Parts: sequence; structure tokens; C-alpha cells
Amino acid sequence: MAGTRPHGRAERRSAGELESEVLAALWATDDALTPAEIHAEIGGGLAYNTVHTILKRLYDKGLVLRDVDGRRGAYRPAKNAAELTAEAMHQALDRGPDPIAALQQFVTGLSPREEEALRDLLGGNGS
Amino acid sequence: MRIDVYVPLVLSLLLPVIAPQVGRRVSPALAARVLTVAASLTAAASTWAMVLLAATLIDRAPSVAAEASEDGRALPEPVPETIAVVAVAVLGVIAFRLFHAVRAHYATRRVLLRLCEGHPPDSELIVAASSTPHAFAIPGTPGRILVTSAMLGALEPAERRVLLAHERAHLVHRHSASATALALAAAANPLLAPVRTTVTFLLERWADEVAAGSVGDRRTTALALARAALISQRARAGCALHFSEHAVTRRIAALQTAPPPDLWPIGAAVLALGALPALGAVDATGDLLRLLAETLPGW
Repeated sequence: MAGTRPHGRAERRSAGELESEVLAALWATDDALTPAEIHAEIGGGLAYNTVHTILKRLYDKGLVLRDVDGRRGAYRPAKNAAELTAEAMHQALDRGPDPIAALQQFVTGLSPREEEALRDLLGGNGS
Repeated sequence: MRIDVYVPLVLSLLLPVIAPQVGRRVSPALAARVLTVAASLTAAASTWAMVLLAATLIDRAPSVAAEASEDGRALPEPVPETIAVVAVAVLGVIAFRLFHAVRAHYATRRVLLRLCEGHPPDSELIVAASSTPHAFAIPGTPGRILVTSAMLGALEPAERRVLLAHERAHLVHRHSASATALALAAAANPLLAPVRTTVTFLLERWADEVAAGSVGDRRTTALALARAALISQRARAGCALHFSEHAVTRRIAALQTAPPPDLWPIGAAVLALGALPALGAVDATGDLLRLLAETLPGW
């Protein structure tokens, strides 16, 4: 396919972008992750030390917790602000004219036939 | 004045017809840009045309009419009075619709500010701990990206990077400014509403292309969209509210072919079309001012 490059060979990512990526990886799972596990997951030519630096920064901002679940060096996302945000988001979504619907949504709805076609595209493991 | 003043109205009918064609043939970045400019100019010009038509009523003002009859002058009537009266009514509707569009804009801004509360100001990603899959960009300085934990949990690592790159593209390329311009244009001129729909779609396509470029893989980008669409669909089972013209399917299909070219000649043609109503409005303004000078010699 045009423009295809091997996985993880994408261009250099800024510190802010990497923070987002590490935080997203931590939120994507219910388990606490060690820097090595995070490194394995987002990899992409990233130095292991960089993952450490980013985790430190996230920790200083209060966005992640360290040494959780009795695992030394394992990280988990901090939930407080995220729960407040979820609450505010649901309040907005439940309101009459939805103010969030006015924004660019990542995805919109599907018809039943489209749903089937997308499931095929994902090889049956999209559900 | 007799003809110029109607040019913006003709363009308002033409633009919705050509917009989807332009969107299909030209790269989304170029198509979205030129259509935003053309629609904004057309909306401004058509509103101004209504002001001009309404202004022709000035020679009906009792003082003007009385003065003219004293002098024994015949007053010019560039457009039939009925049209001028209709223009006044239309202006009222436009004002009402613009007021609502602006109010909705600020209501959204207030909600978005609340969503950012409690998060450090220098972090780009805002996660909402919610089981509803959702993702959107929050414009501002700096812009933020809100994603729910359900959405993050459903995607593969490379697909999460697509999602972040997509939302980042909305922020970097200031797509919210285009979206606001189109919302105001469609409020001022409802004939342009289909152009707004087209541009909304093109802004998503634009962000998809940027994401594909930065992740370096169009297929991964397509898969991320497919997976996100499926889990979002499951979350709102039985709710067809967000169904919009196969938008996701069309975006996925577009990612499975080569990116469309930057066809500048077509872009320039759209811009020229957008400039036409503006020129028409300027010309009509000149005509009206001359008429007024004749009608109201004291000015």
C-alpha cells in the first residue's frame, strides 16, 4: 500500500506527544505496567531511558501512581481528575442539545450493513 | 444593482452542488480550505445583499418622500418594494439564527473548559474514566485531546497512536476555526448547510491523512477507524442519532486507496467562485450609494 512504512518507524515524536502515548498505554489496560512493559508496547525506536524520563514527568504532574499492586516500579494512571472529567462529559452528553456533538468526533455511527463490512475488515476480531 | 445584488444568492445555490465534487477529487486539506473560504465569502455577501435590498426602502421614509415631492423629484426604485420588505424579514431571521449559532458555540466552549478542570495545563491528553467510547479534540491554546478509557482500551497500540495523531491534526490545523466559520455561514445562509456537511467530512478526512502520514501506515489508520467505529456503535446500540451518510465507511474506503492530489487549478476555481459574490456585493453597494446620493441630495 502507498506510503506504508514498517511499524514504529514513524517520525520523531515530541516530548508532549510521548507523554500522551505513555499515558494512553497505561489507561488502555487494567494492569499496572512496568517501564519495560510500556517500552515493549509503544516501542518504535524509543530508548528505554526515554520511557523512564516520561514516566517521571507524568508522576511529577500527578497523572500516574508508582509502586502499585505491590509491584515495585509498576505504574498505574491516577483516576481522580479522569473521573471528574467523565462526570462532566456525561452531564454534557445527557443535556438536550448535545454541545459535544458540535465537535469533530473521531468516528460517527454505522448502519447494520456497514457494521458487518467493518467486522470483515478487522478479520472477525473487531467486536 | 438590479443584477449584482442577486449574484450571492445564485452562488449559494451553486456552491452546495460543486462542493461534494471538489471533495471527491481534491486532497481534503485543499478542498476543506477553499470551500471554507468560498462559503464564508458567499454567506457574508448574501447577508450584505439583504442589507442592500432592505436599504432601498429608505426612499419610503416619510421625510425623504415628503422632501422629494416638495422638490418635484421622482424617487428611483431600484428593486420592487415587496422584495425590499422580504429582505428586511430575512435579515431578522438571519440575526436570530446567528445569535443562536454564537450562543451554541459559547455553550460548547464552557463545557469543554469544564472537561479540562483538574488536569495539568501542560499535558496534551485528557483521559475521561468512562465506559463510553469517545474521542474528540478540545481547541484552545494549548489544544487538548480528550479520550475515554473505554476507547483507549479497545485499540491496539499502533491504533492509539493513529487516534492521537488524528486529534492532534485537528488542533494543529485549527479545524475548529473552519468548523465555526461554516457554522456561522450556514446560520446566515441556510442554503449553504450542505457545504457545511461536506467540509465537516473533509476535516475528518484531512485529519485521517495526517494521521496516516505520521504513523506511516494507511492500513493501520483504516483499522483504527473501523475498530473505533464498531465499539462506539455497540455502546450506543439502537441509537441512530450519529448516523451520518456512511461517513466512517467512506473515510475507511479513502484510506484504502492512494491519497487524492492537491489539484490547485480546481482549488483556484473554487476561490474564484467564492470571490464572485463578494465582488457582486461590492458593485451593488456602489450602485446603491450612487442612488442614495441622488435621492438624498443633502448627504
